[in-house]
Amino acid sequence: MSDIILDVQNLSMHYETLEGNVLAVKDVTFNVKSGESFGLVGESGCGKTSVAMTLLQLQPENSVISEGSIKLDGKELIGLSENELRKVRWDSISIVFQGAMNAWNPVIKIGEQIREALREHYPENSKQTNIDKINQLFKMVGLDESTANRFPHELSGGMKQRAVIALALSCDPKIIIADEPTTALDVVIQDQILNEIKKVQELLGLSLIYISHDIAVIAEMTDKIAVMYAGSIVEIGPTSEVFNSPKHSYTKALLDSTPSIKGEKKKLKSLDGEPPSLINKIEGCSFAPRCPNRNISCKPERDMKLIEVGHDHFVDSCSLGENYE
Amino acid sequence: MLRYIVNRFIQMVVVFFLFLIISYLLFDAIPGNAFQNLLLNPSLPPYAYEETIALYGLDQPLSVRLQKYIVNFFKGDLGYSYIQFPKTAIELIAERLPRTLMLFSVVNILAFYTGFFVGKILAWRRGSKSETWITITSVFSYTVFYPWFALLMLWFFGLRMGWVPIGKFLTPSKWYDSPFDSDVVFLEMIKYMVIFSVLYFVITLLTKEIESLNLRRNIRLGSFFALLFISNFYWNTGQLSEMRFYAGDIAYHTILPVLTVTIVAFAGTALLTRTTMMEVLKDDYILTARAKGLSQKRIRDRHAARTALLPVVTSFIFTIVTIIDGSVLTETIFSWPGMGQLILESVLREDIPVAMASFSFIGVFALIAHFLADVSYAFLDPRIRIKSQG
Amino acid sequence: MDTVNNSENNSLKYESLKRNFNLFKQSKIGVLGLVIVAFFGLLALLQPFLFLTNIWDEATYHPVVGYDSQKIQATVVSCKDIDYPTPEYKTPNDCPGPEEVNIVAVAPYNPGIQEGDVIEQFIQPAPPSSKHILGTDSLGRDVFSQLMEGSQVAFVLGLLSAIVGVGISTLLGTIAAYFGGAIDAYLMRQSDLVLMLPTLPLLFIISAFAELQVWHLALVLGIFGGLGGSVITIKSQALQVKVKPFVDSARITGGSRMKILISHILPNVAPLALLYMVFSVTGAIASESILSFLGLLNIDMSWGLMISVAQADGYINQGMEYWWLVLPAGLAVTLLAGGFYLVGRGLDDVFNPRLRKR
Ligand SMILES: Nc1ncnc2c1ncn2[C@@H]1O[C@H](COP(=O)(O)OP(=O)(O)OP(=O)(O)O)[C@@H](O)[C@H]1O
Ligand SMILES: [Mg+2]
Repeated sequence: MSDIILDVQNLSMHYETLEGNVLAVKDVTFNVKSGESFGLVGESGCGKTSVAMTLLQLQPENSVISEGSIKLDGKELIGLSENELRKVRWDSISIVFQGAMNAWNPVIKIGEQIREALREHYPENSKQTNIDKINQLFKMVGLDESTANRFPHELSGGMKQRAVIALALSCDPKIIIADEPTTALDVVIQDQILNEIKKVQELLGLSLIYISHDIAVIAEMTDKIAVMYAGSIVEIGPTSEVFNSPKHSYTKALLDSTPSIKGEKKKLKSLDGEPPSLINKIEGCSFAPRCPNRNISCKPERDMKLIEVGHDHFVDSCSLGENYE
Repeated sequence: MLRYIVNRFIQMVVVFFLFLIISYLLFDAIPGNAFQNLLLNPSLPPYAYEETIALYGLDQPLSVRLQKYIVNFFKGDLGYSYIQFPKTAIELIAERLPRTLMLFSVVNILAFYTGFFVGKILAWRRGSKSETWITITSVFSYTVFYPWFALLMLWFFGLRMGWVPIGKFLTPSKWYDSPFDSDVVFLEMIKYMVIFSVLYFVITLLTKEIESLNLRRNIRLGSFFALLFISNFYWNTGQLSEMRFYAGDIAYHTILPVLTVTIVAFAGTALLTRTTMMEVLKDDYILTARAKGLSQKRIRDRHAARTALLPVVTSFIFTIVTIIDGSVLTETIFSWPGMGQLILESVLREDIPVAMASFSFIGVFALIAHFLADVSYAFLDPRIRIKSQG
Repeated sequence: MDTVNNSENNSLKYESLKRNFNLFKQSKIGVLGLVIVAFFGLLALLQPFLFLTNIWDEATYHPVVGYDSQKIQATVVSCKDIDYPTPEYKTPNDCPGPEEVNIVAVAPYNPGIQEGDVIEQFIQPAPPSSKHILGTDSLGRDVFSQLMEGSQVAFVLGLLSAIVGVGISTLLGTIAAYFGGAIDAYLMRQSDLVLMLPTLPLLFIISAFAELQVWHLALVLGIFGGLGGSVITIKSQALQVKVKPFVDSARITGGSRMKILISHILPNVAPLALLYMVFSVTGAIASESILSFLGLLNIDMSWGLMISVAQADGYINQGMEYWWLVLPAGLAVTLLAGGFYLVGRGLDDVFNPRLRKR
């Protein structure tokens, strides 16, 4: 249970744009164990998708990985050629993209698009084997077999999303990344899909990286959680511990701004201000300008650095008081 | 689907009527006619001119003539040529049309495929050095002054190198004692090409379901060569074995025009394919395809190019009319006796019935091309296919 | 107050222009096109300048009626039907060689002439020299001056027809988008019909009953271009703008239809229209050259005509021997049309967010 599948160390990545470099991922370190489900939470634009893309080495052309390593099953991914990466993708790690609605090619049938992946990774399979496999997958995610012969535009949003999950599972990956798989779906369907993902993950013993801006969903889905702010991880630890005793002011604010999971009514407290622009390097604590209790316990001039505060529970040092050095 | 086709068909018919009327009015507006020089001839009695005019029915009011023209058009009667009198306009066209059609279709298929291929590569290699160079070359061949380029090609390959004949449809000296009419040989060639492409198309359809991609490709390639091999026997049977020599002569004369027009025509498709491909490459499903670990080639061909094909096909159809324009020049420069030459000659010599008939035929041709394109577009894009059913 | 506002506005406009130009500079291809277009623009302007300042006199350099004789001293030789190669000549084509003239050719005008005499000969077309940097044509006219004249024609015609065409298609496209319904349906069928017309044969016919002048051609090309496919594209662009919130809010606050059309929709369609304009210059230049090449245009001098003359006199078939008659005009048409196309491509690459790299 405790063997590490994915190990990310000091990952930093930026986009080169006309306005300057956008520092979207800064010194991110975390790992995912086999069978574990890991949550990545943060406001819109904090760099969650950028992390996910980098894990598959699918980042856009204008991005540059300035440092760090990504080890999947002990194998370094950064610097692999496109051909070597092809063998890893989907076979070991697959992804459900944010906005999976557009993940389907509009002019190819759903079944064919799944079969394509199977053909690539299991060239020896016969056509019938592949079709059987697809039917089995469809059953698992609650879709009808006939879906395979349909074009994407003939499916509803929820069906497309289920099919995407089937697609992600098709080559038996060790780890699946789900990047806000339920945005753009209505609440009921959202719930069904979440349950589906959780069920399948437990059934197959997969590792899961679940990305969301909704901390309530993350709480339901994951064993371990990382909170991201402006490209950096500011707090990381076992989900229950982070929820029960959040240490970082941002985590606290995030928890406060969500209706409580347990159902007790709390006053919604939303954060003031905007997340900082990622274009320039931020000296010291990036959260300081918005921090509600800046003067009490923070050291905003301190550089960001994770410090262990409990078992497996790390927090960015600048939000901690004097005692931590 | 059927409703869609029927709809388009009705539209086509309406547009066609409008086209006929407009072209008639246009020609009617041209001052003078081919008989005016009869008036200049002092030895003819004055009534000769009037009688000739009456003979051709030119003295009747416009509405009557227009009505007659349209009715006769559908009867297949387009009048006599003023200049080559005993011949009818239809006869002249029947003789010339196949030659134009054949040159036209070979060139277009070639140009479309090369263009699509080059455009695909261009978009894929975006930002590389080779992209800049191929782009500049394509732009050059897209905007090159066509008659000038054709003349230079003729000079270089025909005169300087002597590799190909300098224009014309055939070498007259070889045909003096020929037992065959050139048109018969030509039709035989067209028949062969149609059979060949249909067979190959059937093979492609049959192999569509093969699961292994390599096997599929190899079978297709193999059967292409097998067809070539069988062709060898085909041209050895019966009369065809004698015709082969003459067919070869005609084929030899097509090389240069085909090459020249292809060089000029491919670039438009290439540049457009590049643009559409680049837009498609930004779509999310390309990312999915990459994440699935598909090969670069498969992503490029199956996912990006297949989707980019749709707009490229439509606009290719729109440019068919310009390609017809080009065929006027091609035929003039390469002395290829086809429709383009016919229309230029007849306009210059004011042979109105022939000019009108060929103009209408080109219109019909463009119309049919548009129609076929619309229908095939609907087949290519499942989104349209569905919508038109509901 | 007003003036302050205005100057502020202007400086803002200047700023955004500068920014846009900096963006445009990123496209190498676009800059290349701009350089080509600017080069021909300069060429077009240079000729009147040379005439006005009397650096060139019209009698010698006028592109149509100018004449300059180039004289050389030629030795009279006789080329006989004998076996080649001879000591002097390799093939029959080499006799007479350079600065030589065949006795058969000059004897009728020079009675009593003998082999070995040296006589004065006019050469036309004359190869490039310091006086005529691109030589002269078969009538002794300066080719460089003709090239400049052709450049003027190309610019006037290209820009005029593009402006007419884009004006029409922008107007009709926005109208079709904004009013929809029957107007839209009619306009769309009309472009279908126009798209179907084979332009070149049509121009033949028109040239058969009208003495086609350059500006006629510009109008005809503009109108046909404007009624055709570009209406459809502009319409779809205008449709996208029409549903944008600011148009709605303008409607709610009671803007008249006309005002909304002019102040909100048109400016948003303008960039696409501009792009179309640049591209359509390419087509117009090509059409003009083709028509004057075929002799269907009533024009004194143009690039197409230069090639037409060179072909009629048989110089093209002699390939590169008379390169100054064959290459400049053809290259000029190709380059200028290509230059405009490249500018368009550059604009598209940089300002179309769907194509942008960053
Ligand atoms: N291709 C790109 N070029 C330049 N900047 C980019 C690019 N992609 C993302 N960014 C920027 O990088 C930052 C992080 O983006 P990212 O998509 O990773 O955020 P996110 O956390 O996934 O947000 P959301 O919750 O909205 O999906 C944002 O500021 C975004 O503007
Ligand atoms: Mg995201």
